[in-house]
Amino acid sequence: MILDRLGKELLYFDGGMGTLLQAKGLLPGELPETWNLIHPEEIVDIHRQYYEAGSDIVLTNTFGANALKFHDSKYGLKEIIDAAVANVRRAAALGVHDGRETYAALDVGPTGKLLKPVGDLGFAEAYEAFCEVVRYGEEAGADLIHIETMSDTYEVKAAVLAAKENTKLPVTVTMIFDEKGKLLTGGDVPSAVAMLEGLRVDALGINCGLGPEQMLPILKELMEYASVPVIVKPNAGLPKQRDGEVYYDVEPDRFADAMEQVLGMGACVIGGCCGTTPDHIRAMTKMAGRRKPKALAPNEDTIVSSYGRAVILNKKPVIIGERINPTGKKKFKQALKDHDIDYILKEGVTQQDMGAHILDVNVGLPDIDEAAMMRETVTELQSVTSLPLQIDTVDIRAMETAMRIYNGKPMINSVNGKQESMDAVFPLVQRYGGAVVALTLDEEGIPGTARGRCEIAGRIIEEAARYGIKKKDIVVDVLAMTISSEPEGARTTLEALRLVRETYGVCTVLGVSNISFGLPCRPVINANFYTMALQNGLSAGIINPSSEDMMRSYTSFCALMNYDENCEEYIRRYGGQKREARTAPPASLTLKDAIEKGLKEEAHHAASELLGTKAPLEIINRHLIPALDEVGKGFEKGTVFLPQLLMSADAAKIAFAVLKSSLAENGQEAQKKDKVILATVRGDIHDIGKNIVKVLLENYSFDVIDLGKDVPPETIAECAVREDVRLVGLSALMTTTVVSMEDTIKLLRKEKPDCKVMVGGAVLNQEYADMIGADFYGKDAMQSVYYAQELFG
Amino acid sequence: MDTRTKEAVRYLGYGSHAIDDDTLALIGSSFEELERTAGRRIIYRIFDVSFQGETGLKIGTMEVDSRNLRRNLDGCRNVIVLGATLGAGVDMLLRRYSLTDMARVVVLQACAAALLEEYLDECQEELKLEQEAQSLYLRPRFSPGYGDFSVLHQGEILRMLDAPKRIGLSVTDGNMLTPTKSVTAVIGVGRTQLSCHVKGCENCGKSDCAYRRDKGVGE
Repeated sequence: MILDRLGKELLYFDGGMGTLLQAKGLLPGELPETWNLIHPEEIVDIHRQYYEAGSDIVLTNTFGANALKFHDSKYGLKEIIDAAVANVRRAAALGVHDGRETYAALDVGPTGKLLKPVGDLGFAEAYEAFCEVVRYGEEAGADLIHIETMSDTYEVKAAVLAAKENTKLPVTVTMIFDEKGKLLTGGDVPSAVAMLEGLRVDALGINCGLGPEQMLPILKELMEYASVPVIVKPNAGLPKQRDGEVYYDVEPDRFADAMEQVLGMGACVIGGCCGTTPDHIRAMTKMAGRRKPKALAPNEDTIVSSYGRAVILNKKPVIIGERINPTGKKKFKQALKDHDIDYILKEGVTQQDMGAHILDVNVGLPDIDEAAMMRETVTELQSVTSLPLQIDTVDIRAMETAMRIYNGKPMINSVNGKQESMDAVFPLVQRYGGAVVALTLDEEGIPGTARGRCEIAGRIIEEAARYGIKKKDIVVDVLAMTISSEPEGARTTLEALRLVRETYGVCTVLGVSNISFGLPCRPVINANFYTMALQNGLSAGIINPSSEDMMRSYTSFCALMNYDENCEEYIRRYGGQKREARTAPPASLTLKDAIEKGLKEEAHHAASELLGTKAPLEIINRHLIPALDEVGKGFEKGTVFLPQLLMSADAAKIAFAVLKSSLAENGQEAQKKDKVILATVRGDIHDIGKNIVKVLLENYSFDVIDLGKDVPPETIAECAVREDVRLVGLSALMTTTVVSMEDTIKLLRKEKPDCKVMVGGAVLNQEYADMIGADFYGKDAMQSVYYAQELFG
Repeated sequence: MDTRTKEAVRYLGYGSHAIDDDTLALIGSSFEELERTAGRRIIYRIFDVSFQGETGLKIGTMEVDSRNLRRNLDGCRNVIVLGATLGAGVDMLLRRYSLTDMARVVVLQACAAALLEEYLDECQEELKLEQEAQSLYLRPRFSPGYGDFSVLHQGEILRMLDAPKRIGLSVTDGNMLTPTKSVTAVIGVGRTQLSCHVKGCENCGKSDCAYRRDKGVGE
């Protein structure tokens, strides 16, 4: 069994395949996988040479054999994979002369497509494509699954889940990093390692992209973070070009010398990638023989990650933003009920701007489908922020949904000492990975003593170990009890923090603001308690990063305890403060001037001032709208340009928000708005034009239902019917996607005949719009506003 | 005003109008943010080209039917096929600001386009020197979507370059490049130096375009 040997013995992979196939006559554009059937003798010959050179593991010739990449009319995937595994087996029979145990690894490469939100491939589609490949691979008799040359953590997660959930085979993964140690999608070494180990791959590492020498710095980082055996498969140097052909020029001996260093640093499975040949592998196996690899030194850091960054909880205190949570927030509850995702996303990016390191995500309300809401929120959040997320829910179905589609290793909030809770949560952590918040309460409730809470923490850590969840992935929450009802609450919590740190050496987390419920001027108590908690060993405070009091505590603590080198962060935050404090409040412009000049702060100020003397509705109709009209006219005439138009729109939006909350305070509402659907049509991923129209329509009080980009006609028609919408705006950028626009219009005509359709986008003109049957062509964003106004009177 | 700023202003549709200070400041800070966020990756390979009739041509194994491209590459034996991208980070930035600041999105988008063109010009300059050392000369860059050179070729071009793996550049089912701030192009390599090097924009037949570079200069 390969699992018994991984990490204990030095094992050898094979080398490159592509260059050898070309030498044997593979034509450019020809699918290499078809050669498993057309020229099996050539494929067997290459595999055999690798076995003879000393490879223990040989990859099947199936790099591009997935339904998304492999399009061949003659051969099916199953046939290809069957033949590919059989070819490796035959080669082993021919090429292994010393009776050693060898393995056929099913080679799984990327789909060649980018996943959403960057590309158009859905996570579930990617997963399905990989499922098919790995099932065929296991049926054909492969010994393990090797997923390689991956440059996107999300795609690799789909592949690993497919392999783990559909086969019993060991799974190994190598990814492709550039010289700066980054994946093409921006991920770094610790974030990739954290996610892959969370998914419990059996070995991980790097391949392709670089030669062995360039890989050394990346390998060093990899060794620092990895706790499973590490694989290294470099190219024969960096790619070079001659007469339009790519080639690699590191010779076998030099390659072997460099691999000597690779072994010295701790890799225990080595091989080659592009440009390497049986000679490279032979030089390497001769050099290292059956030497024992260095023992693994497991990493003990508590790490959570997103697609693009890792956050380490035990090196320096971190901030978990608490604002994505409906508890006690009327506006947030309303946003959830109205399905106002933008509102939630704004809470996310604001907290990031204010200094959060991780975002807590709680979207639980009694009367919504929490799993569906969680799925959507996590998907959308990870497309606008690179902060890791903390999935916060008591709904196990919502928890699993989020963990499955999360691009990285999430923080999970939470498990507790009740058996029922551990039985539900730990299997999910075992399957998807994650650092889990452990609340120190159990069937008996919350212990009143620090010792009692510490004991529960111990039991949770013990139970987690039974699922193979390491102590480093348990983050203990000793619970902050409000001092107005529990006079000893703060003292017990602080003592418990210290005790848990001393006893188990784990990281800790705390919902800090709980401490002050029922007291006046809560930020004062919160901020002081926060500092005390940090001093007693709190790793991650769940706080509101927009609270200046809390941020002062945090920044000062980091500066004082030498977590902030040269007090850089402290100086950045507070260095300019004196000067800022002296600047005068925004000059009193009229609301009209502020909007026309596109000044947000001034617009806010002017709107607030006007409220002193005038009613909100009057301000909207007599000041705000006329200012917008003025700017719009300027835009039409060509004296105002798009950026200015939008700056004005943003300023108006802020003034509008001020007026709306004044209306709400008096129990009134702004005028009833007409609904307009906006969407970028199927196949089209460019949504800037649509977003411009959205901002302007909202300025003019239309209730915009934004369906996003790449939207199928059915979704648009279904929404128009359900919401009884009389105007749909469609956007398309290219001639190729105008077809989807036409399909959408046709469907709308059938399903919702009283609905008008306006269209716009780079490629359109009046003639084109007429041809596809649109009611209106908007040559710019203002035209769509005028049309909507005209339509709704 | 430097070239990239001028180009960004042009993409924003100002034509020959003077730009206001607020937008100019926004352009400045957008370029700064892009410097921090944008990656710059390119991959290119040289292929043989042959011609069939008035509109047909074959680059490597890719068959193209395009009168405009045929004319652009006339007399060439080789073409450089390239793909370049600013990476996924710029798309993330655009999505993020779409929530709070559309003016910035529009300006960032124009600046990113200018940055990408500038990067391609730099790369092309290097290629030009390389080729001129062998007495070979470059034709203007020509991309799918110019004239009658169909965007349906995007996928095949990326396959010829192994672009998804090498630089993370891929294509959607609707033939759109992802990340969005990316281009593919072909550059002819010929034995003769053409005196008049007309670049993409001026070469286009759509002379009433609001974004045209030479608008109002000599028409």
